[in-house]
Amino acid sequence: MNDPFLNLKKSMKKNVFKDLSFTDERKTRVNEAIQAKRSSSSLHSFSEETILSILKSLQIEAKHGFEISTQLFQKEEQSFLHNEGQLYTLLHFLENKEVLVSMWREDKKYYALTAKGRKYLAADTKKGYAKQPFLLKDLLEEASL
Amino acid sequence: MNELEHVVVSKENVIDKEQLIQELMNENGDAVLHLVFTYVKNQTIAEDLTQEIFIKCYEKLEQFNHQSSIKTWLYRVASNHCKDYLKSWHYRKLLLNEKILNYIPSKAKDVEVEVIAKSEEASLTNAVMELPIQFREVVILHYYEELHLNEISAITSVNVNTLKTRLKRAREILKAYMVEEV
Repeated sequence: MNDPFLNLKKSMKKNVFKDLSFTDERKTRVNEAIQAKRSSSSLHSFSEETILSILKSLQIEAKHGFEISTQLFQKEEQSFLHNEGQLYTLLHFLENKEVLVSMWREDKKYYALTAKGRKYLAADTKKGYAKQPFLLKDLLEEASL
Repeated sequence: MNELEHVVVSKENVIDKEQLIQELMNENGDAVLHLVFTYVKNQTIAEDLTQEIFIKCYEKLEQFNHQSSIKTWLYRVASNHCKDYLKSWHYRKLLLNEKILNYIPSKAKDVEVEVIAKSEEASLTNAVMELPIQFREVVILHYYEELHLNEISAITSVNVNTLKTRLKRAREILKAYMVEEV
């Protein structure tokens, strides 16, 4: 009984799968997708303070998500503790609303304030005017929809 | 693999779940990718599908009942995902485009085929990759992954006797092919 498939494993390894490997980059994408799923399934409404601390953390320079989150922890902003995925959801939302803009540098996504984002920040520091276009509160209402 | 088996998946413990997927990817990422490739024969598509498979595992982790090994379960998810893809409209469209392209004669293709058929080893893998999917699947799982028929049955939901028949048939097809080659 000669089995034609006896050498299959060896030759598959040599010929078909030679350069075929599931890269770290691909693994990272899986993790990102998992994070996104997790945060969207438990999306709660954020507080004004949370958004404000994000905007403030970007006042001086652009940062990537991890930097933002470590800075938030330092400032005792605990909303995203054990739930960093939500931060990315929120960043994404702010980006859609053109409050933030993002760019890729060395495989990391950096976020920066837009002109609109700065207006929100400015509006927050001089509260008390009744009719203001850039209120975080209004942003929040949209975020929790 | 053993430490993976002992991870108890609890709904509260999201971090554990993520860690488990991370370990699954580190331990079996390449193996799943290779398996997927034997279904779809295209590296980029295989990588995309493998990514989707691990995401699916994360979503369906609660459905893993510890009756089989986690590897068997992972392969089952992978095999089903590939078959769904092969049935999909997207894939059929691709196939049609390929068929149309094949009508256009090209020199490069002939050279490629010649190079591939150079060694007997390569022609074996070639022949296997050309087998119809139900035969290819069982051949790969049995001879490449070295799984027992009852494991393959758990992965594919095909009963063992049918698998035996398919293996026998696959050997016949291959022998005929090899004779033709010579």
